[in-house]
Formats: sequence, C-alpha cells, structure tokens
Amino acid sequence: MIEVDGLSKVYVKDNQEMSVLEDICFKISEGEFVSIMAPSGMGKSTLLNILGCLDKPTSGAYTLDGVSVEGMDDDELSTTRNKKIGFVFQSFHLLPRMKAWENVTLPLIYSDTDSNMREKAIAALNDVGLGDRVEHLPRELSGGQQQRVAIARALINDPRIIFADEPTGNLDSTSGKEVMKIFKELHRNGRTLVVVTHDTEIALQSDRIIEMKDGKIVADRTTNPVSAEVAK
Amino acid sequence: MKFFRMGKQAVAAMGDNKSRTFLMMIGIIIGVATLTIIVSSVLGAKAKVMKKVGKFGFDQFVVHAGSGKKLGVFRTLDVTTLTVKDAEAIEAELSNVREVTPQINRRDVSVKRGSLSSYAILVCANPNWTSVWKTHTARGRFISDEDISRLARVAVIGKTMVKDLFEDQDPIGEQILINNLPFKVIGILEKRGTSPVGVDMDGRILIPLSTGQKRVFNHDHLVMIKVALKDPTQLDATIKDLRPLLRERHHLQDGMADDFTITTPKQVMAMASKVSSSFTLFLVLVSAISLVVGAIVIANIMFVGVNERRAEIGIRRAVGARKQDILIQFLIESLFVAIGGGIIGSILGLLGLKGLSFFMRAPSTLMWQPIALGLLSALLVGLLAGIQPARKAAGLNPVDALQ
Repeated sequence: MIEVDGLSKVYVKDNQEMSVLEDICFKISEGEFVSIMAPSGMGKSTLLNILGCLDKPTSGAYTLDGVSVEGMDDDELSTTRNKKIGFVFQSFHLLPRMKAWENVTLPLIYSDTDSNMREKAIAALNDVGLGDRVEHLPRELSGGQQQRVAIARALINDPRIIFADEPTGNLDSTSGKEVMKIFKELHRNGRTLVVVTHDTEIALQSDRIIEMKDGKIVADRTTNPVSAEVAK
Repeated sequence: MKFFRMGKQAVAAMGDNKSRTFLMMIGIIIGVATLTIIVSSVLGAKAKVMKKVGKFGFDQFVVHAGSGKKLGVFRTLDVTTLTVKDAEAIEAELSNVREVTPQINRRDVSVKRGSLSSYAILVCANPNWTSVWKTHTARGRFISDEDISRLARVAVIGKTMVKDLFEDQDPIGEQILINNLPFKVIGILEKRGTSPVGVDMDGRILIPLSTGQKRVFNHDHLVMIKVALKDPTQLDATIKDLRPLLRERHHLQDGMADDFTITTPKQVMAMASKVSSSFTLFLVLVSAISLVVGAIVIANIMFVGVNERRAEIGIRRAVGARKQDILIQFLIESLFVAIGGGIIGSILGLLGLKGLSFFMRAPSTLMWQPIALGLLSALLVGLLAGIQPARKAAGLNPVDALQ
C-alpha cells in the first residue's frame, strides 16, 4: 500500500538548511493500523503531509497504492488526495459556515460523482453516530462531534487509506476514546489507517508503532502479533 | 455540474459576509448606475437629434451660395454666385428633383411693433417653401403667387416672434416693421423648436422672395436653394449630377473650387452628434473611473479575504481541490459580486433616469443598450479584479495554508 525509501525533507530558512526527515524507509500493507510516534515538532506532521500527498519530499521514493508519487503533477496529487486519501486533523478543520452534512460533502464537490451528495453525507454521518446532527453548524457541536464529522468527511469518497494527525489532541479523554473506537472499527472493516501521535496510549491501540526521533526512525515494532503477521 | 456546485460554494461565501460583499459591490454599483444614466441620456439625445434631422428631411439637401459654408453659420449677402435661374435649371434638368425652393436668409434682422422689438431670421421665399420645408402655417395663410407678383409686403411669422412682438395677442392683420419697412402679418408658422444645430426655428419671419429681392435687400442673388427629391435613396447620385450642372452654369474651370456648398442630412446629423460628444466623453470617463475604483476595491477586499480564508483553502486542497478549482471558486465569487453590483447599479441607474426625466419633464425610454453595457462592464471588472486574488488563493501551498 505504502512504500517509502530513503525519504528526506530539508527546509531552508534564513539561509540555513534544516533537516526534518532523514532517510525514512518503511512499508505499510493494506489493512494495517499504524501509529507514527514522535515528540512534538519532530517531523512527524511533515512525514504525514508527504504521505498524504500534500507535500513533496526533498529526496527519496514514495509509492502509494502501486503508483509512484514523485512523478505526479499538482493536479494528479489533488486527484489522489480526493480519491485515495482521507484526512483527519488535530483541529478538525471543518468549514465554520457549513452545516455538518455540507462539510461532509466537501470531497464530493471536487470529484466526478455528484448524485445524492446529501444522502451520501447523511449515511456517512450515521456511520459515525451523528445521524441526529446533520443540520448543525460546527460551532453547535462538541469537539468530539466535530472530529466525527471530519471522519465522516474523510470517508465519504471511500478512500483506500486514512491519515490522522493527532486526531485526539484537542479532545477530552471520553471523546478521544470515541474517536479511537471509530478508527478501530474502520480497521476491522479492512481500511488502512496511519495515525500520527505523541501519545503512547493512543499508539498502543494500533497494531504497529513506528517511532521517530530527530527526523529518523528509531524503532518499528508491532503491538499485536496477529497484525504483525499481516505486516510481513 | 461541477461548475454549478462550485458556484453554490461561491454564493455561500458571499452570503457569509454580507457587509463585505456590499462594500465590494458599491464601486460597481456607482459605476454602472452612472454608466446607465449617461448612456441612456446620450442615446435619448441622439434619438432626439435623429427626429429633428428627420424634420429637416432625408429626402432633401441644401445648396448654399459660396464655398465652405459651415452648418449653423449664416452667410452674408455679399456672395453673388447663386441665382433664381440656377434653381430653375436644377428643377428642369435633374430628373430626380421633385421641387426646389430658392431663398434669401438673413439673421438678426431688426423687427419692431410699437414699443416692442426683436431680432428675426428673415427668410425670403416662394409659396412652395411650405411643402419643401414641411412647415405649414398654424393660423392665417402663407405667401401666395399673387403676393410674389405684386411684391406684397406681407409676412408669416414664427411663434417666438408672436411672443416678442405681440405678447401672445392675435397678430394677424397687424403691422410690423422689418428693417423699418411696414409689413402686414398674414399667418403664423407652426411651432418647430430648435434645429439640429441649435437655431431657433420659431424666430423666423417669412416674406415673399420677390419682395425681399426688390424692396428689402435690393439684391437678386440667393443665399440658398433647398432641393427636394423624388427618390431619397438616389440622393448621392443626384448630388453627383448637380455639381457639374452648377459648375458649368457658373463657368468654373477645372481645378477651381466650387462656389457653392451642398449640405446633406447626413452632414447635419454628424454635426449634431459632434456637439454632445466631448461632454459625453467626460461623463463616460467619470463612470469608467468609478468602475476602475470598484475593481480596485474588489481586488483589495478579495486579497484580504484570501488571507483570512487560508485555512479554508488548505482544507479544500486537502480533500482534493485542484489549483484551478480554487481559482475558479474565487473568480466566481468576484464575478458574482460584480454582476450583483451591476444589476443593482442598473436598477438604480434606471430609477435615477426616471427621477431625472421627471424633474426635467422629458420622457425617458427604457433601452436595452445601457443595461447590456452596464452588465458587460461589471462582468469585465469582476473578471479583472478577481484574477489576481484568485491566482494567489490557488497558488497557496496547502501545507502552509493548513497551519
């Protein structure tokens, strides 16, 4: 599903080169639930942005779903994000003036399928337990509910893979647990999940943890022997 | 379909910040409103001129004595090139000529009645003047053949003269002094207003041509001949035949300039529209400036909007919007704002026009051209103002935009 080889990212700021990622190599198979763990500000968001086709690496190879990403132009990257990838962000990133169901339809606006947008959105909201919040604006929802709207949005185009960047970072523990419950269910249904977090408790709920420090991978271990078998 | 969906997104964004949307619109509103008023008035004025030229007659033209005669400027009597015989020759030899009327005109002729006095345009003409000029007497009678043969001292006067000399009392049968010669008023001309070039047509006094030649000016030469045609479409061909005829009669050698000037309705029209064109240009400039200011306002507010909506742009990019989708979304927004302003501006302009015509007691006609022009310029402004902010929005790096 995902294969990165020798990935690195260097930022140039005030004429000083700053290496954020160095020689990252790993593979993630279809259906895996992987956590990428690192202390804050240690390049894990950059890695997730690159994996999510939002950013490009300075060097290294990245293959997503059998397709090399380096050769893609901006439009192809956009289409890839639209069709194959679902994002869940720490701060939800919902559009404040849109109702819950309208936020969920956002990826559909930029794809070719345009029938029954509302029905599809309501079905996706039902899946995350928000069938009764369809017409609410984000500010009328709790943090946990907003994040579930964001998850419904990530799922609306039926992507192959979900990337989540500190999905529980802005939530209280109860809401966090709800979100993780949804993730585990998605995993059980065979969806590939990559979660970036600094929280060990969250990471332990996945079946594989990739630990990073100073832009390098320092550990890659399984937490669940069954999943580890799949990974190999 | 996708375009339609993105249009909906743009409308939602407009409704999201109503006061800002209004601010963006206001320059366009003012620009389009003034443009509507200006273009409507100009077209209205032009239609008026056309109507007046229509009265002048599209089936006729005028031959003036002397070369280089300018419209609206009267000749003095010292040009002695045009004669009654010329007029008779034109009527006899050119097949398309229906009739001709020879005239002596003189401006600023002093007229008096008792203690009242005025200055008239004195026209010495034959009885067929009424049919050629399509101007008839409102009351009384016109100059007759008998008046011509008797060199009668009779006069037909315009409405302005009635007002100036008779203070609107009945003038028929009364006596007036023209150049200190007594004339009897026999008729009143119907009201004609001002000519296309601004001469008061009601300030005219008509007397028999023969009387003018023998008794007033002691001068046989004509100032002009008006020629009415059978077939107006053959006007150019008739003029082509007329020139060599007059040149031969006047013994003009090759290379010598015409000693007469031909004025066609087309020239009168061109002259009349020239009068208002510089003023129009100024007004169009005013509305163009307000449209440019409107464009700058839209562009500025759009730039601010792009900065404020970085997160939104980032989110849209993250879920799969391509650069061009963002570009189109922002362009549609500026287009909608501009067209909205254009529609409001057109309505305000038409209302303003209605108000103006009420105060000026002039009828206003609803025309499609000003509205089309207003909306089209609004569309252009929206496009030009929106393109840079939209490009900036589309060019944002999604990662930066999301932070």
